[in-house]
Amino acid sequence: MNTMKTTMAGLMAAAWIAGTALAGDANRIVVDGSTTVGPIAKAFAEHYMEKNPGVNVTVSESGSGNGAKSLVNAACDVATMSRPMKNSEKKAARDAGILPIEHVVAMDGIALAVHKSNPIADLTVEQIRDVYAGKIRRWSELGGPDQPIVAISRDTNSGTYECFETLVMNQQKMGEKVEYVGSNGAIRQRVMSTPGAIGYVGLAFTEGVKTVTVEGVEATPETVVAKEYPIARPLYMYTNGRPKAGTPLADFAGLSGTPEGKQMIADTGFVPLP
Amino acid sequence: MDGSARERGSLRLSRGTRRRQRLAAAAGQLFLLAVTSLSALAVFAIFYFIARDAIPFFRLEGFKEFFTSTRWYPSAEQAEFGALAIFVGSGLVTLGAALVAVPLGIAAAVCLSDVLPFSARQVVKPVIEMLAAIPSVAYGFFALVVLAPLLQRSGGPVLAAAAWIVGAPVAALLAFILSDLLADRFPERAQRRARWAFLILLGSGAVAALSVAGRALSGLEIPSGTNALNVSLILGIMALPTVVSVSEDALQAAGRELREGSYALGATRAETLLRTILPAARSGILAAVILGIMRAIGETMVVWMASGNASQIPEPWYNLLEPVRTLTATIAGDMGEADHVTGSARYHVLFAMALCLLTVSFLCNLGSEWVLRRTRRKAGG
Amino acid sequence: MSLPTRKILDRAFSGAGVLAIALMAAALLILLVPMFTRGSQAVFFRATVEHRRFLLEKFERGDRAAIEAEIQAAQAARAPVWRLVADFESRLAEGEAAGRGKYRKPLKELRNELRFLLGPEPGKPRPMLMRDQYGQTRLDMAQLGLERVLRREEWDYSDPTKGGIRILKPRAEDFEGTALAELFPYVEKNFARMLLPRRTVYWGFLTDESFDSHFFGGIWPEILGTFYLTLGTLLLAVPMGLIAAIYLTEYAKETRFLALLRTCINTLAGVPSIVFGLFGLAFFINVAHVSPSKSVLAGSMTLALMILPTVIRASEEAIKAVPRAYKEAALSLGAGRWHTVWNVILPAALPGILTGIVISMGRAAGETAPIIFTAAVSVGKPLAPWQTLTQPTPALSWNIYNLATEHEAVDLVRHVQYGLVLTLVCLVLLLNLLAIFLRARIARKMRN
Repeated sequence: MNTMKTTMAGLMAAAWIAGTALAGDANRIVVDGSTTVGPIAKAFAEHYMEKNPGVNVTVSESGSGNGAKSLVNAACDVATMSRPMKNSEKKAARDAGILPIEHVVAMDGIALAVHKSNPIADLTVEQIRDVYAGKIRRWSELGGPDQPIVAISRDTNSGTYECFETLVMNQQKMGEKVEYVGSNGAIRQRVMSTPGAIGYVGLAFTEGVKTVTVEGVEATPETVVAKEYPIARPLYMYTNGRPKAGTPLADFAGLSGTPEGKQMIADTGFVPLP
Repeated sequence: MDGSARERGSLRLSRGTRRRQRLAAAAGQLFLLAVTSLSALAVFAIFYFIARDAIPFFRLEGFKEFFTSTRWYPSAEQAEFGALAIFVGSGLVTLGAALVAVPLGIAAAVCLSDVLPFSARQVVKPVIEMLAAIPSVAYGFFALVVLAPLLQRSGGPVLAAAAWIVGAPVAALLAFILSDLLADRFPERAQRRARWAFLILLGSGAVAALSVAGRALSGLEIPSGTNALNVSLILGIMALPTVVSVSEDALQAAGRELREGSYALGATRAETLLRTILPAARSGILAAVILGIMRAIGETMVVWMASGNASQIPEPWYNLLEPVRTLTATIAGDMGEADHVTGSARYHVLFAMALCLLTVSFLCNLGSEWVLRRTRRKAGG
Repeated sequence: MSLPTRKILDRAFSGAGVLAIALMAAALLILLVPMFTRGSQAVFFRATVEHRRFLLEKFERGDRAAIEAEIQAAQAARAPVWRLVADFESRLAEGEAAGRGKYRKPLKELRNELRFLLGPEPGKPRPMLMRDQYGQTRLDMAQLGLERVLRREEWDYSDPTKGGIRILKPRAEDFEGTALAELFPYVEKNFARMLLPRRTVYWGFLTDESFDSHFFGGIWPEILGTFYLTLGTLLLAVPMGLIAAIYLTEYAKETRFLALLRTCINTLAGVPSIVFGLFGLAFFINVAHVSPSKSVLAGSMTLALMILPTVIRASEEAIKAVPRAYKEAALSLGAGRWHTVWNVILPAALPGILTGIVISMGRAAGETAPIIFTAAVSVGKPLAPWQTLTQPTPALSWNIYNLATEHEAVDLVRHVQYGLVLTLVCLVLLLNLLAIFLRARIARKMRN
C-alpha cells in the first residue's frame, strides 16, 4: 500500500511540477463560460490570434455557471457570462484569492422563437410565463392552431435560463413538460424543425425561425438599446483582477470597447454598448 | 514494502547471488502485484471520490425528496431536487432499449451459433463488431440529425411500416401454430382442410388487426422527435452487439452433445434450441441481457443529444413518444454549476446521481458475474 | 403438432434469426450511408471561386495568377448586380419619401441575401468577421443562397386554426416596374459566371485549421487533439494493463484476494463513462491538480482508467492462449520465470495483445463523456506536444456534439459536422479492421 501511495504521489508531483512550470506562460488565454457569449468570444479569439500569432486563445462554451466556476478555480483567464456573477460566486472567488472584475461586453435581447408556420405573432410576458409553467398547453389556447405546445428551454446551468427565470417566470416554476437543451443553437435547431415548438434564444440566433413580438415590441438591436424590449440583459466577461495594461489578457478583455470589437459584436447579432 | 525490500536486497548484495536473485524476484512480483492492485483499486477510488461529493447532498437535503418527488428545479431560489422523474426516464429508455436489443440479440445469437454456416458467420461477425465500434457521439448525431426529424416529419408511417415488418412474421407464425393446434382436435380426415380453414381465418384476422394498428399508427403525430422512442431505438442498437456476443458464447458453451442428443431423438432444430439449448444456456443469456442493459443505462451522449431532457414522467408511463430526462444526461448537462466551490446542493446532487448509477452498474455487474460463475461451475461439474 | 407445421416452425425459427441479423445489418447500413455520403462532401464538393480565394488569401495555396484571373472574371460578372443595387439606391434617395418607405425593407433584405451569396460589396470596408468576408464557398450552399435571392419566403396565416402555409414569392415582384427588376433574371442566368463552381477535392479539410468557428477551413486541431488523447491514453493504460495481465496470469495464485481483484476489474469495466468524467474532474483536476484546468493529460488519465479493464482482459486472454509447451520448454531450459515471460510468452501473445490494444484505442478515440469535464474545448489551436500537459484541446468526438448542438449556425456547418463524424467513424472502423486482420493472422498461425 505504502509503495503505491509513494509512487502515485511521486508521479503526481512530477506531473504537477511539469504542469505548473508550463502553466505560467502568458501566451495563452483560456476563455470559458456562456454559450450565448460564445459567438462573441470566438470572434474575438479569432481576431486576436490573427493579430497576435504567438498567443493561443481557447474558448469553451460550457455555460455561465461553468465559466464562473472555472474562474474561481483559476482554471480560466476570462469567464464569459450571460448573467451577473452571484454573490455566492463572488464570495467563493474571494475565498479562493480571486478578485472577479466585471466587464460588460454587449447587450442581448432574449427573443421568443416559434416555427415559421406558426401564425402567432405576439405574446405577452404573462402568456409566455403560462406556456413555460405548463398552464397553457395547446396553441389553440393562444388563438393558434390546435397543436400541442413543445416548450423548449435552455438547460438549468445557463445564464440565459436564469435571466429568463427572473425576467419572465417571476418566481413561477417551469412546467414538467418543458424540454431542455444545451445551447442557443440547439434551441434554434429544435424550433426550426418542430412545428409546435417555442423556445427562447439570444438575438444572434434567430435565423431560420420566427420571432414573436413581446408586448408588441419586436426584438431588434434598436429596441434593446432603447430599453423598449422587455426581455433584455447585458453580457459579461469576468477576469481575475484588472488585467495589467499591455498584457494579452488586457487587450483581449478590452476588445469590446474598440471599434473593431463593436463591429464584431454587431456582426454576430448582438448589441454593442454605445 | 516494495522499496524497503529492494533496499534490503541491495544491502545484502554481497552475501550471494542466489539470495539476491530470489529477493529480486520477490520484489519484482511485489511490483507486479502493486500495479495490479492499483488498477483494481481504482474502482474504490472512483467510489470514494464520487461518494465523497455525493454524501453532502444527502446531508443537506435528505433522501426523501430526491427519490420520491418529481419536481426538479435545481436552480430556483427555493431549489427542489426531486429526481424521481429522472430515474423513471433512465429506466424507461433502458426498458425500451431492452425491448429492442433482447429479442433481436437472442435471435441473432441463435442464428449465429446454430443456423448460419461458418462462412456466413465470418461476414456477420464484422457487422456486429462495427456496430459495437461506432462511437456513441456518432450514434447521438444520427439520432438528433437524421432520426429525430424523420420521426417528426413522417413518424406515423415509419412506425406503421415498422409494425408491419415486425408484426407480419410474428403473426404468420402464430397463425400457423394456432391453426395446427386447433386442427389437431378434428378427426384425422378433416384435419388438412381444417388446418387450411383456420389458417386463412386466423391469417386474415391477423392482417386485419395489423392494418388497423398500422392505420392508427400512421395517423400518429409526433410533436417532438427527440423523445424516449428515438433514444430507445438507438440505445437498443448500441446494446445489441453486447447481447449477441455474450449470448452466442453461452449458446456455444452449451455443448455439442446436448444438440446431438436432441437431434437423435427426432427433434427439429427449432425444438432442439427452444427445449434444450436455450434452457441450458439460460444463465449465460441472462448475463448477456444484464450486460446489454448496463450499456444502455450508462450511455450519455445519445440521451443527452436526443432524449429531449424534459424532467417528467410520461403520461401514461410507457408513452415512449414523450421526451424524458435521464441520469447521465442530467450529469453531463448540469455539471459545472457555479457554486461548486462553496459546495452547494446543486453540485452535489449530480454526484448523488452518479453514485446511484455507479451502484446500479456495480450490482448488475455482480449479478452477471454470479450468474456466469454459476454456469461455469455447472459446466465444469 | 403435425410434421409440416413442425417443419414450418423450424424454418420460421431460422427465419427469425436471419431477420434479426438482416435488421442489424440494415441498421448498420442506415447509420453509415448518410455518414459516408454526406461526410465525403466535406472533402469532395463543387467549390466556388470564393473557396479558391479563401485558400489563396489564407494559405497562399493554388496558382496565384490563375486564381486572380478567375476572381477578376467573377467580379466582372458581378459588377452589374452591385451597380444595379447602387443605382437603385441613389435614385431612391432622390425620389420621394413614400417610395423610400416602400422599398427600404425589401432592399435591405435583398442586399443581405446578395451578400450571403456573393460576399461583401465592392468598395465597402472589409467586414470584421470572416463569414462576412467571403461569399458561399460551396455550390450546394450557393444554390441555397441563389434561391434566397430570387424568392422570398412568406407565410400565409389566414387560417389561424391551422399552421401557416409557406409561399415562395419572387423578389422580382417587390421591385416590379423599377430598374432593379432586371437584376433577378441576370443573377439567375449568370449564376455560374459569378461563382465559377468547379469540382474540388479539398484534402485540406483534414489538415487545415478551422476559421471563424468552423465556417471555413478544416478540422486539423480536432484530429490532432484526438490523436494526442488516444496516444496519451495508450501510454498510460498499456503498461499498467500489461503488467496487471502478466501478474494475473503468470504469478497470482487463485486466492480470495485475486477473486476480489478480478471483481474490481470487472466492475471498473462496467462503470458508465460519464462517471469516469466526473471522477476525472473530482480527482485528477480538483484533488490531484495534474493540470491547472482541463488538459489533454487529465483527459488521457481519465480515458486510460476507462480502457484499462479492456486492455487487461484482452492481454490476459492472449497470454492464456499461448501454448503451455512454450512456457514449459523455456522453464526446462533453465530460463527464469521473468525471462520466460519476457522472451517467450509475451512475443507469442503479442498479436493478441495488440488486437486488444487496437480495439481499446478505438474506444478511447471515440468516447466523449469522459473528456467533457477533463479535456475538451470547442475552439483552440493545434497543440504542440509539450502543451498537452497543461492545455485543453478540441477533439473529434466533442466537436461533433458541440457543432451539432451548440454552434450558432448549426445548419450552415452541416458539412463540417458530417465530415467530423465520418473522420471519427473511419478512424475507429480502420482500427477495428486492423484488429480483425490481426486476429485473422493469429487464427491462421494457430491452425498451422
